Amino acid sequence: MVLALARTWSGYRTAVRLGWLVSSNWTSPVPFVIYTIIRPISGALILVVMYNVITGGRGNTRNYLAFLVIGVSFWAFVTEGVSDFAVGILEDRGRFKMLKYAYLAPLRFPVFLVGRASSKLTSAVASVAIVLVVATVGLRLPINPLSVDYPLLAIACLLAFISVMAFSIALSVVLLAGRDAYGYGEIMAQVLYIVSGAIFPISVLPGPLAFFASLSPLVYWLELTRRSILHGRVYEMFPGLSDGEVLTRLALATAGTVLLGYLVYRWADRQARWKGYIDMDAAQ
Amino acid sequence: MPRTPNPSSDASRLAVETRDLGRVYKTRNETVTALSSVDLKVREGELFGVLGPNGAGKTTLIKILVTLLLPSSGTAKVDGLDVVREFRQLRSRIAIVSGGENAGYGLLRVREQLWMFSQFYGIKSKVAYARIDELLERLGLASVANRQISGLSSGMRQKMNLVRGLMTDPRVLFLDEPTVALDVGAARDLREEVSRWMAEDPTRTVILTTHYMQEADDLCDRIAIVNRGRIVIEGTPQSLKLEVQRDVVVDLQLEPGVPVLDRLREVAGVGAASVREEDGLDRFSLLLADDAVLTNVISAVERSGRRVAGLAKREPTLEDAFVKLVGRSMTEEETQ
Ligand SMILES: Nc1ncnc2c1ncn2[C@@H]1O[C@H](COP(=O)(O)OP(=O)(O)O)[C@@H](O)[C@H]1O
Ligand SMILES: [Mg+2]
Repeated sequence: MVLALARTWSGYRTAVRLGWLVSSNWTSPVPFVIYTIIRPISGALILVVMYNVITGGRGNTRNYLAFLVIGVSFWAFVTEGVSDFAVGILEDRGRFKMLKYAYLAPLRFPVFLVGRASSKLTSAVASVAIVLVVATVGLRLPINPLSVDYPLLAIACLLAFISVMAFSIALSVVLLAGRDAYGYGEIMAQVLYIVSGAIFPISVLPGPLAFFASLSPLVYWLELTRRSILHGRVYEMFPGLSDGEVLTRLALATAGTVLLGYLVYRWADRQARWKGYIDMDAAQ
Repeated sequence: MPRTPNPSSDASRLAVETRDLGRVYKTRNETVTALSSVDLKVREGELFGVLGPNGAGKTTLIKILVTLLLPSSGTAKVDGLDVVREFRQLRSRIAIVSGGENAGYGLLRVREQLWMFSQFYGIKSKVAYARIDELLERLGLASVANRQISGLSSGMRQKMNLVRGLMTDPRVLFLDEPTVALDVGAARDLREEVSRWMAEDPTRTVILTTHYMQEADDLCDRIAIVNRGRIVIEGTPQSLKLEVQRDVVVDLQLEPGVPVLDRLREVAGVGAASVREEDGLDRFSLLLADDAVLTNVISAVERSGRRVAGLAKREPTLEDAFVKLVGRSMTEEETQ
């Protein structure tokens, strides 16, 4: 038992390391800077300009900017954890031809995938921190690092990590059950972006979509990151709910995502094995 | 050199056993029967060859046996474990090495990647490094152990791939066309290592697929010839050659002209015929029931207006047995 755990742990650590080494984007600094810093910040600024135009300059730009910057910067967890992660797994299959060897190893395949996703999420931490610092200083946002509610932020992010992993692992195996799967990870991340309250409160979504969004753990996670960092100085998506209530909803939504992810994984894994696509993509 | 089956191995234990194994692929626009009614028994300690042309179903069979693909009918056991129900226990006892893929993470170093995969098998780092270094040495890769994989030739990559398969000390090793598209030297090194690895422990088993006749003949204790998803015949290389021993084997070279292969096949007494092109000549291999048939063959050629450039009798090979049993040569599909 202890031995089995030790083996799983060392397999997990190796999968994390493999993820870092095979697709580390910091080996080329220029694309890294553009991708992780300039893109999110310029995206946020464009949205602010649009907001000003739509509200005719009557909106509270600074508040909206703070709302946005938090949403946009923390979104790195989702782009890296969902889209980049899925691309990495598909490249293991199609480009490096190594996926089947990892799949067939005694280490449980989900452990391998959790390891690979962990490496993405840890590298996303760097990107979140950089964007926040640059935006705070450059745009003079009302963020004071000394008054951040770190425990709340940490627990919210931990739950969000678990959700993102459950979602992206299930997604990656769904993609493995198809032969031509590149691009779908990116599309999924974009869809989540729209419906998760990263760039506007979900209350502006049409009814059914708003309901769907309210089931997503990401909405509650972003709400908590904003509350812990800005303390109510920005729009709240759920002004009627206390921090504890939002946290409870996040925990429930996370549990739901994990359960759903597990079911989807089992189904998709069997599909992939049935079709024989673990080692085959459209190029073959 | 064919290996002499090791007397100390327990020949009653089966490394692989399939019963009525079948696999049908259904895609949007077609249904392909890749395997049907495959009954196979491979004894522990055997180096067993699966020989067949492209598309015969070799990879499909291997994928089912290594738990990468589910069968659509029948059952299969490897090392006594069912490939569908007991796949978890099975995975630590087997390994697969596929050819023709240029596998590997270009950014990693050879030794580093091998070590990483050993960790997915739960092997202690110290033990893993010792095995890796020994195997790299044996395959002549010691000098590139710390080089990036992207800098390796395809022969070196495939040797590294074999090291990955061997380092976990599998009970049954599956090699799916391991030497395809490699240069002669690298292919020879790989085969030699496989033979050596088998000789080290009489309970080890290898299942090797190939479409190279010579590879099967040189390496394997027993061979199954597969064609269109079925096992056509099974036996030692020697026993397969016996299939053609009473035939007269003739090599006939013709200068270019109208196609005659089908006409030659129709001549009474011609058991099988195949052709390949070399140096501007069509080289036919013919299996004749007896010498007298040759006269009819020559008149058939003359009627077609083609000119004979050469004619010789020779000893039968495994290739001839294949052509007789399958009805076409291994490469015929590719050159048509
Ligand atoms: N995953 C798959 N989906 C659909 N058809 C497949 C798949 N894999 C193999 N086939 C088809 O099954 C047949 C047997 O293929 P394969 O087992 O790869 O043969 P071999 O390895 O002997 O060349 C071929 O016609 C091939 O196109
Ligand atoms: Mg094949």
